[in-house]
Parts: sequence; structure tokens; C-alpha cells
Amino acid sequence: MTVVHHIHPEPQGFWRKYIWSTDHKVIAKQFLWAGLIFLAVGGALAMMIRTQWAFPDAGLFTPAGYTRIFTMHGLIMIFFAITPILIGAFGNFTIPLLIGARDMAFPRLNAMSFWTFVVALIIVVASLLTPERGAGSGWTLYPPLSTNVGLPGWGQTLVLIALFVSGVSTIMGAVNYITTVIRFRAPGMTYMKMPLTVWGLWLTAILNLLFVPIIGSAALLLLFDRLFHTQFFIAGAMGGTGDPLLFQHLFWIFGHPEVYILILPVWGFVGDLVSFFARKPAFWYRGTVGALLIVTVLSALVYGHHMYVSGMSPMLGLAFEALTLSISVPAVVLFGNWLMTLWRGSIRLTVPMVAALATIFVFGLGGLTGLLLGTIVTDIYLHDTMWVVGHFHLTMAAATFLGSFAALYYWFPKMFGRELHAGLGHAHVLLSVVLITAVFGMQLLAGLAGQQRRLFDPFVYRYIEPLRDLNRATSYAAFALAASQLLFVCNFFNALVRGKRAEANPWQVGTLEWTISSPPPHYNFKDVPKVVTGPHEFANPVVLEKLGRDWLAQTEPDPALEPDEPGSQTSA
Amino acid sequence: MPPDVSAHGYRIDALINITLVFVTILFVIMCAWMAYSCLRHGRSHRARYDRASRRGIAVVLGFAGAVFFVVDGNLFVTSTLELKRIFWNFADADRAPDTVRIEINAHQWAWDARYAGNDGTFNTPDDVVTLNDIRVPVDAVVLLQLASVDVLHSFYLPNFRVKQDVVPGSINRLRFASRKLGVYEVGCAQHCGANHYKMRGELTVMPPAEFAVWLKEQSDEAVRVHEEALRNGFTPQMIERQWGWSWSENL
Repeated sequence: MTVVHHIHPEPQGFWRKYIWSTDHKVIAKQFLWAGLIFLAVGGALAMMIRTQWAFPDAGLFTPAGYTRIFTMHGLIMIFFAITPILIGAFGNFTIPLLIGARDMAFPRLNAMSFWTFVVALIIVVASLLTPERGAGSGWTLYPPLSTNVGLPGWGQTLVLIALFVSGVSTIMGAVNYITTVIRFRAPGMTYMKMPLTVWGLWLTAILNLLFVPIIGSAALLLLFDRLFHTQFFIAGAMGGTGDPLLFQHLFWIFGHPEVYILILPVWGFVGDLVSFFARKPAFWYRGTVGALLIVTVLSALVYGHHMYVSGMSPMLGLAFEALTLSISVPAVVLFGNWLMTLWRGSIRLTVPMVAALATIFVFGLGGLTGLLLGTIVTDIYLHDTMWVVGHFHLTMAAATFLGSFAALYYWFPKMFGRELHAGLGHAHVLLSVVLITAVFGMQLLAGLAGQQRRLFDPFVYRYIEPLRDLNRATSYAAFALAASQLLFVCNFFNALVRGKRAEANPWQVGTLEWTISSPPPHYNFKDVPKVVTGPHEFANPVVLEKLGRDWLAQTEPDPALEPDEPGSQTSA
Repeated sequence: MPPDVSAHGYRIDALINITLVFVTILFVIMCAWMAYSCLRHGRSHRARYDRASRRGIAVVLGFAGAVFFVVDGNLFVTSTLELKRIFWNFADADRAPDTVRIEINAHQWAWDARYAGNDGTFNTPDDVVTLNDIRVPVDAVVLLQLASVDVLHSFYLPNFRVKQDVVPGSINRLRFASRKLGVYEVGCAQHCGANHYKMRGELTVMPPAEFAVWLKEQSDEAVRVHEEALRNGFTPQMIERQWGWSWSENL
């Protein structure tokens, strides 16, 4: 049974409208701003790492400072940039609009989720102001290094607290998304009529609800070890009878689903966008949904592949290896469905489409390079090398980055009621994908050559010495990548101020958000829409003949099914 | 890749190489498909109204199956066999008559190595203990037991294609065998603090006779130093080399 919010008048005061808002569209923008700012911070930290590797002899950083830089880069990018952009911003903005709801199920919880997230951001910034300048354990937080044995001081402690608080925020968001999708779908919006974007975001929310509590409890136990002298994870000559590997299990049973938490929304965007801009129904929609579901289920069953060389039981290793490799089946189905959607389509290379294709490109490369890490015997050599760094950046960073931009270029007109400049957008996306491939491709090569990750000066090793030029070239490509983001920044602010007013449906797409004005009114849908058609109804010959266009809105019935009944078009 | 000087590294290299060939083929197919679609199926013609033809689904599933059975299958079967035969086969390494046993003690930021010495028993005064200097005879199977006193480390021999995390509170194992004389590098692959990058040791592969002489000399020297220390009033507990453990047969 569908639940529908009543229409409340839009608050008019500045604070109620923009700051303490409970409107999912405003909260989405709040998350977007926070995420973009911290994306810039995380990017700046990445540039510092690349500077160190290009000029290790310049003495720009200390070894200890360098460990803080890469640790904060990883944590900020994952928890304070990608997560708020993909899930906070696009989850909030798209879920109610795409399923025909007037708001999230729990608008106040939604606002609380954002402001809890702000508290986490403040704690992270505070950690950078401590004498230690943040955490230095690597984003994986492995104890005993992350305990007082390795890194005493408030920098590491505050980062752990921030992680915990951001987890609380994520859980509040997840509960909200899950409930909204289950209870607030418009009449007729069955699960099999939901856009793939909603599927991706919904499954992500489910994974978040299941697994963020685990990293939360692991962080809490680690905090106990740091603050209250417990020894959950401390062992060795420093005393302690805890188990450092216990933390790795807890971390990765969250950490591997986290990879899918970040990529499932992107897969959803890509699945929708290739259909929208190939002007063709998404190929084998049910197969895609099935593949997303299987990946969701497998996500937590494969985490052990992060621990192949930790000394785990060989039987356990083999089980994780078999499960890990089996993920290739749903992955190939996803890719196959996207490629089949393109086949014999009528492809429009708009900015979001190019970004979606770029996402497929980098994710393809990232996914395929993962095969050698999912296999134990090859992982024994490649584990903890730059191959891993290249691989997970292509999947978790490059694909989510380009996928987020695909979404941003696509929904920007609906979010802000303005249009971005297409030429600048194309230049930004194309430069980004070329440079991303260069940066992370060269990291893969360095890894194949055996270079370990996280080395302050990699060239103390003789066998890495020949890779000096490769590392420097990677750095230059990374600097160019950072510089090319200015194209987006200019485009973004220019469009916000002077962009052309967007039409209600600039992309000629039939999902519900495009049936209302850009930007949507406070209550989204004056009349709750009645959904009768799937999200990817393109190129229907009867529609072409009768309506003269190649798309059909989800509120419009298929004229082929109800021929020539007067008034059958948009009743109810 | 750095030159492989191990007896078994070629097995890993071969699997990496064949998989890279597969991966390249798959990636090229994907890119060619996208490029062709974008070039041929543009605005010039209408899209085909096709949700999921039976044949299309068969192509997708067939492809998924092929990748699973050929690429993944090869990886899984080869990996399992090589682990059973070589890389995780510690029982065989234990049985081999000329196996060299070494205890490795990792700490921030160096590798201690301990040999049983003349008496063939670990944790006795005649043990040979070195710092960042591991020596092994060529061709012999080397069996390591690794422990850490402080944080996680990872013992990494790039020229041998092997690595093993070292976890405080437990003893992990690693085996390898060399087939070429020379001096090679030992790296740490697990972030272990500010000077992680400096945790570099050397592995010297020697002719067996030379190795035996070196080990004997070092062991004699160790006994001499130990006795001198005791004469000077040190108790065994005060001697810094006292970190070893009796070789654990069952891990």
C-alpha cells in the first residue's frame, strides 16, 4: 500500500528553507556541496602524494607527514566525498522523484542524517588541527599500528570518532532510503518498473544498513583500545592477547560491501543512461536487476580476498577465491546488457552519455585487473603493490567519479533549473577519462613491476629505481587531471549564475522526474502520478506513429495496448 | 616485473601472463563494441525496439559462462594446484632433507633473522642472528617462520614473487627456493609506520658450501659472544638476541 505525504507549504525563511530544511531536494544539494568541497580536499591530498613520488628527494614532506597525507586522502575520499555525493546527494535527490513520492519517508531523519554528517566533517577537520595532523594508519586502520602501540595521540582518535559519527549518519540515511522505496512508490510503480538508478541506490542502502554497523563496532572497539586500555586488537611483544586479524575480518566484512555500496548506484545510473541516450529500451532489464541482486548478496561473501596473505587457513582462502571469481558472472551480465543496449540503438553522445560510457570503460579496466587479485597465487605477488592501487582506483575512484559526473550532468537541469554548457562538459569528461586511464594505468604497470604501495620514497629499493620516470609521468598526468577539473568548476558556477533556464524535460526521457518542472516544486508532485509504463520505453513504433516521438513517459500507457480509446492517455 | 630468480616464480608469472592476454582480449572486445556502436548506431537511424531477444540473452549468458569457465576456471584450477603443490605446501617443505629453516622477527623497521646454528635447535645460544641480512644456499627449499613484535609487516621478495604478512601474536610461514646466486631485496609490503619505506633487507643466495662455512663461523662466533656476555655478568634475559622461539612443527 502506497503512503503519500500531505502537501505542506514551502517554508519561506532563509534558515528553514536552505539550512534546517527537511526537503529532500535541499538536503541533496547540501550533501552535494559538502561532498564536492571534500572531493577537492581529497584531491589536493592526492596531489601531495603524487608530488612526493615525483620528487622524493625534494624534502617537501616528512615520512610521518606523508603517512597522514595518504591516510586522510583515502578516508576523506571514501567517507566524506564519494559517499555524500553518490548516496547523500543523488540518493536523496533521485529516489523520491523517480518513484513519484513527495519526499523521503522520514524528512526530519533525513535532515538529521545530514547534520550528523556535518558533525563528522567538523571532527575530521579538528583531527587535522591536532599536533599529529590526522590519522596515519592508512585508510584500512589496521591495528596494532592504529592503536597506541603505533600511533598515539588525538589525531588518530578523532578520525576514528569521525568515522563512527559518519556511520551513524549513513545508517540514518539508509533506513530512510529503504523505507521510502518500499512504502512511498507511486501507485503502479512496481519493483520491475523502477528505474535502475533506484535499484542501485536501494540495494546500496540495504548494504549500508547491514554493514556500516560492523565498521562502526570495529571503530568502537579500536577506540576502546586507544582510550580505555582494552586489548581487543593488540598482540605481540608490546603486550596484549588480542587479535589483530579480528579487526581485518571486521573491517573487510564491511569493506568489501563498501566497494559495492559505492558502485551499485553508479551501475544504476549507467544502466539507465545508456538506455536513455541510445534511445532504446534497456536490454534485459530483469537480467540487470538480477545481476545487481546477486552482486549484493555476494558482496559480503568475498571479503576474505583482502586477506589472502594474512596467514588465513588455506581452505578459507580457496572458498573466498571461488566466491570472488564467481562475481564475474553477474558482472559480465551487467556489461553485456549495457553493450547490448547500445547495439542498434540511436546513440546521442550527450555529456551524461559520454560520462556513462567513460564509466563503463574505466570500470571494465578496473574489474578485469581485479581477476589477478581475486586469485590467491597471483595475489601473493601483487598484494599490497601499486597494482592494487591502480585496480581499486579504477573501480572505486574513477568509476564512481565519472559515474557521479554522469549523474550530475544528467540531473543538473532538474536540480538547479539551469543548463550546463555542453562543450565544456564534453571537454571535462573526455580529458578526465583519458587522464584517469593514464594515471591509474601507469599505477598498474608500477604494480606489475613489483612496486609496493604507501612508500614514502619508493626508490630506496633497487628494483623500483628504474620506475622513477614512470612514477614521475604518472604524477604529471595526475596534475593535469586535477587541473582539468577547473573546466567543471567554471561550468558549474557559470551555469548556476548565468546558465540557460532548463526545460521540464530537456533529455526527452520518460521517468517521473521529467514530468514535472525544473526545478521541481517543493512538494514534487501535485497529483501523485499513476505509473503504467516501464522506465525505458523508447523506440516503440506505435508511439512513434501516434505521438510522433520516440519516448513514452512512465505515466503514459502504451498506445499499442490500448488502441484509440478516447481519453486513455493520462487519466488518473 | 623484476627478474625472477626463484625455483617456482615462473608459475605465477605464467598465470599472470596468460590472464593478462585474456583480460586484454576482453577489454578490446568491450572497447571495440562501444566504439562501433557509437560510430554506426548514431542519430542517423532509429533505435530498434528490442527489450531482450532470446538470442541476445543467450549471447550475454554464453559470454558470461565462457568467461567464468575459461578465464576464471583457469585461474582457480591453476591457483589451487600451485598452492597445493608449492606455495602453501609447507608439509613437503618440512620433509625435504636439505630444507633451510629460518625464523624471521619483524619490528619497526627491520628484519631480524635467526638460524638454528650448529646444534640444529632454535632458541639456543649458538643461534645465528642477523639484521636485514638473510643468507640462503642456492637451490635449497627455504622455510620461514615469521613473527612480529609490534605492528603488522609483510615479508616480500619481489624477485621470488612471494609475500607473507607478519602478524603480532601469531607465527606465519613462507617457503621459497632460489635458483640463481646473487643479492636480492627484501621489502616490507604492509604499511607499518612512518619509516615503512626504509624496512629493506637483503637476501643473499650463496653456493651451498660457502653458506655452510658462513653459518658455522657465525654460530661459533655467537657461542663465543654469548659466553663472554655471561662472563661479564649479563643474564640470558638481558641479551638482546633473546627473541627466538622453538621451531613450531604444527602451525
